Amino acid sequence: MKLKVASKILDANDRIAQDNRRIFSDAGVFVINLMSSPGAGKTSLLEKTIAGLKKSLDIGVIEGDITGTDDAERINRLGVPVVQINTGGACHLDANMINVVLPDLPLDELDLLVIENVGNLVCPAEFKVGEDVKIMILSIAEGHDKPLKYPLMFQESTALIINKIDLRPFLDVDVDKIRKDALSLNPSIKIFELSCKTGEGVDQWIAWLQTLNS
Amino acid sequence: MHEVSVADSLLKIAVDECRRSGYARINNVRVSIGKASGVMPEALLFAFDALKADTIASGAALTIEEVPVAGHCSACNSDFTTDESFVLCCPMCGSSSYSIHAGRELDIKDMEVD
Ligand SMILES: Nc1nc2c(ncn2[C@@H]2O[C@H](COP(=O)(O)OP(=O)(O)OP(=O)(O)O)[C@@H](O)[C@H]2O)c(=O)[nH]1
Ligand SMILES: [Mg+2]
Ligand SMILES: [Zn+2]
Repeated sequence: MKLKVASKILDANDRIAQDNRRIFSDAGVFVINLMSSPGAGKTSLLEKTIAGLKKSLDIGVIEGDITGTDDAERINRLGVPVVQINTGGACHLDANMINVVLPDLPLDELDLLVIENVGNLVCPAEFKVGEDVKIMILSIAEGHDKPLKYPLMFQESTALIINKIDLRPFLDVDVDKIRKDALSLNPSIKIFELSCKTGEGVDQWIAWLQTLNS
Repeated sequence: MHEVSVADSLLKIAVDECRRSGYARINNVRVSIGKASGVMPEALLFAFDALKADTIASGAALTIEEVPVAGHCSACNSDFTTDESFVLCCPMCGSSSYSIHAGRELDIKDMEVD
């Protein structure tokens, strides 16, 4: 017997993502899904961003890692509410993982919630978690061939942060090619070059973030 | 890399649909997977076979139909498809005034049940 199904495989995830979205908008909180490969600088950027915005915005963080609480501890030290999710092996956060920790966050008091996804340049882009925007980081140490090798995340992101530009003198990397390929994949992507180590370029990023949130 | 999650969702939907329609066993599931979806067919097959073991789909085969990336260019007014997993410009005229309408699918089409 043949049964017609005609359903999206990730339908269940998308429905929970919509529920999350409703919860976020009712609470008046703007949500960023922050993605990159491992070590590109997600937590470092969060630290810089929190330092720069803490006075003007109430920020909360969800940390997604396969295991461990190091990142949540780094954020906790800055005195903002943070929840750690351990995916126990999964290479991305999904909408349900976010849904179950929402009661642990003071959403009504927050203006901005940043969800740091699991370090991975492929999978997180496929799973909506209820975010307003996806923002990705590529560190220049990863090489200029990454946009064309991992196009999906570049296509899905509203902004691309090119991090670790302080390492430029030590690397044979063509940053203009990263820009050019990212823009070909996604003509409206907003691009920032910065260093979380020296702080160069961080102000422009923070200024843009404030316009998003207002 | 997230093929395990995709296989897991796919099995849940298939098992639920089969039971809801009053059948006891799934023999085949047919899915469309877009070439730009980020899902590799071989890895999806592998994950499906690993996860189906103790379910009513334990004897089921997975048939994967790959969907090429397709779009329309408003500069030269042409419809195109490509074997690549992404498009950087219209393959006909090189313009960037194109839109993509296929290639991101992750859909279950139908299944064979008893
Ligand atoms: N030189 C340099 N190092 C940086 C910069 N940003 C981050 N790092 C270093 O890169 C390493 C990884 O940074 P994290 O912020 O932990 O990266 P992450 O993306 O959060 O990593 P995961 O959560 O494990 O995926 C740390 O040793 C940082 O000190 C930068 O702009 N320049
Ligand atoms: Mg981190
Ligand atoms: Zn054209």
